[in-house]
Amino acid sequence: MKAWGKVGTLLGVSVLGIATLAGCASANSNGSNSSGSGNPSSSGSSNEPTLTIAEGVIGGKNPQENTAFANAIGKALHCKVQLIQMAGGNYDQKLMTMLASGQKIDVVYTEGSTLAQLAKAGEVTNLQSQIQQSSVLSDPKVVPQYEWNDIKLSSPGGQGIYAVPVKYQGALMAIVRQDWMQQLGLSQPKTLNDYYHIFQTFKQKKGAYGLTLSSLYDIEPFMSSAGVKNGYVMQNGKLTIPYATSAAVPVYAWLHKLYANGLLDPNFVTNSTADERNGLLAGRVGMFVYWDAWVPMLNNLAKTQGAGSSFDAEALPSAVGPNGKSLVSMGDTSVFAIPSNAPDKALAFKFLEWWNTKPGELLGSLGVPGIDYTVKNGVYQLTSIGIAENMDHGDPEPISSYWQNPFPQMQKGYANARQIGVTEGYQPLINANWNNAQKIIWQYGDDAILGKISPAAAVSKMHAQLLSLHYIDQ
Amino acid sequence: MRVLHSQKLTTPRPPLATSISKWRRAVPLYVMLLPTVAYFLILTYYPLVHSVFISLQNFNLIGNRPFVGLQNYQAVLSDPNFWAAFRNTLFLGASILIIGFFAPIVIALSLNEVLQQWAKRTLQMVIYIPHLFSWVVVGGLWIQLLNPAGGLVNAVLHAFGVPPVQFMSDPNTARWVIILVSVWKDVGFNCILYLAAIVGINPELYNAARVDGASHWQEVWHITIPSLIRTMQVVGLLSIMGLLRLFDQIYVMRNAVIEPKVDVLMTYVYDQGFTQMNIGQATASALLILVATLLLTLLTRRLVQFEL
Repeated sequence: MKAWGKVGTLLGVSVLGIATLAGCASANSNGSNSSGSGNPSSSGSSNEPTLTIAEGVIGGKNPQENTAFANAIGKALHCKVQLIQMAGGNYDQKLMTMLASGQKIDVVYTEGSTLAQLAKAGEVTNLQSQIQQSSVLSDPKVVPQYEWNDIKLSSPGGQGIYAVPVKYQGALMAIVRQDWMQQLGLSQPKTLNDYYHIFQTFKQKKGAYGLTLSSLYDIEPFMSSAGVKNGYVMQNGKLTIPYATSAAVPVYAWLHKLYANGLLDPNFVTNSTADERNGLLAGRVGMFVYWDAWVPMLNNLAKTQGAGSSFDAEALPSAVGPNGKSLVSMGDTSVFAIPSNAPDKALAFKFLEWWNTKPGELLGSLGVPGIDYTVKNGVYQLTSIGIAENMDHGDPEPISSYWQNPFPQMQKGYANARQIGVTEGYQPLINANWNNAQKIIWQYGDDAILGKISPAAAVSKMHAQLLSLHYIDQ
Repeated sequence: MRVLHSQKLTTPRPPLATSISKWRRAVPLYVMLLPTVAYFLILTYYPLVHSVFISLQNFNLIGNRPFVGLQNYQAVLSDPNFWAAFRNTLFLGASILIIGFFAPIVIALSLNEVLQQWAKRTLQMVIYIPHLFSWVVVGGLWIQLLNPAGGLVNAVLHAFGVPPVQFMSDPNTARWVIILVSVWKDVGFNCILYLAAIVGINPELYNAARVDGASHWQEVWHITIPSLIRTMQVVGLLSIMGLLRLFDQIYVMRNAVIEPKVDVLMTYVYDQGFTQMNIGQATASALLILVATLLLTLLTRRLVQFEL
């Protein structure tokens, strides 16, 4: 009997423990990194519908802010909002796991390459007719035609529109220490030789590497000199990758010259993009290639990270190509899509519209009113939290031309950078094979830069391998 | 006190009534086991069985998931990337296994010779600490240390007039970096197992050997090492079970240049499943790895005649 009493106690404790764990699990079964607002926020009535949003970039920076962020959406749309935030990397993997497990989501945040796969498998909804009928989304001043064109690249056969843009994605461009340029009397480069001269001067006068890279992410500002585009290009109905053609050979040769002469950061093969940013802030390097939106962020960070009072990051146009044009590659479009099994598609679409109106844009950029910013007599004021979070709550730069950032002083360098993106930018064509293809290009490209093989041999090898694996047609 | 010898003891079969009463006494114990059994059934075996189904399906995230028979397995086995990853796994895994097997034995025997207890403990702690860190930390740390510009290792080499070495962008060098870093990280853990075994050796054996005039080396060779065989079996078996499951370290330390030489089976599974959304093929390859691991483990147990 005594034994049974012990067993009963043990089982009781076990059940209690399991129930507690299960409770924790269900409270956290939203797949969030416990930074999300797992339970639906309430904006009032208990009869309100629930909008479930899975995302990796929008929201606050901690659970409390996420709840406030979800409440702000709920208040505007008269619904409860469950914001499933999956920050901290591997977003796609987490999203797929969630979808595969059967979780019903109304709105998913994703990017062009993943959208292409989801649309191809019929896992997201075609929104084209709804967009055409929407007074908000059909306004070209709210969403310009080029954004729809970019999103259409992810549609099966280029037919239909399966998502709505989240933000202005921007482009990758050369970002330079402009203060050094001015101190050393250097002018804006137009050719690879001009760039080389700048790197040489940085090395001699500042003791810094001229350029740093993170493998071959991203070398388009230099490939531009040969008129070579990133990603795939369709030629006469056949897919090709320009980085794996003879046109790219002189650029690989030039990059090798930089490496051989100590002007390129030798850690480029293992660098993360964070290493690149830190290198520029620390004065270890004079230039790297990154997002236009990061120009003002670098300038803001420099003030708080002791990068020197003179620090000034500015974007540069790419090298001029044979046809007199420069190229920068636009980023993989960030979008909101509605899964084909979404419980409330109408509410989901209402959210997509609202996100592209002024209240949505304010929330996505400045943050939550009262927490990140205040408004008195029409004058906006960032709080200390708002300043620390750098006006990035998922939509730092709304697409709409109606939008005007109320804090232009915190946008140092952005207007110029964005203009470069608008003038020189193009959306690279990518498909489901791109990740594998890119690996091959980076492998041989890095080898060529390191001087292990000649640039011509590198291009020849990458081309042959891409062809044999049917990643390209010619 | 009874001395138990290592021979098998055969006991006569008890009468039926005794067996039933034994069972009755054991019921509470079996009930206590239930939560654990339930845990494994729900969280281990159910997903395993479910993954077998997934490997036979054209797995869509939403909607229909039609059965395609062995198509995913055929796709895996005819994929050259799978076989390249398999070769890399064998090379890296076998190297880590061999070096990682002998290194802790040598270190444990060496540490056993250290007379000062404080020095012994300090060395033990220093060797063990890397095991406590995650691969994200260890991998990142070694990438920084081996950087050609600003890395400590190259700074030391530079002091001796050696030009910078691109450790992590030469596939053949990087392979050995990965092997040695893996051994470095886990050597402390296995070393502690051996030291614990050494402490447990009967001192009388050494006294008897000294009386017989054995040298110090002979004591090590004829007493210490044979006494470690059981521990060696356990360590060897655990290492073999992990041979095909290398992932974290490779994921953290790989880069575009070295990937063809360091990508392993588990990174193949990851790339198939999460990068290319090819869940069916990823699951098929994961199950093949599981079966291979099981076969390897059974073979090893047979070879070393391991019995728990």
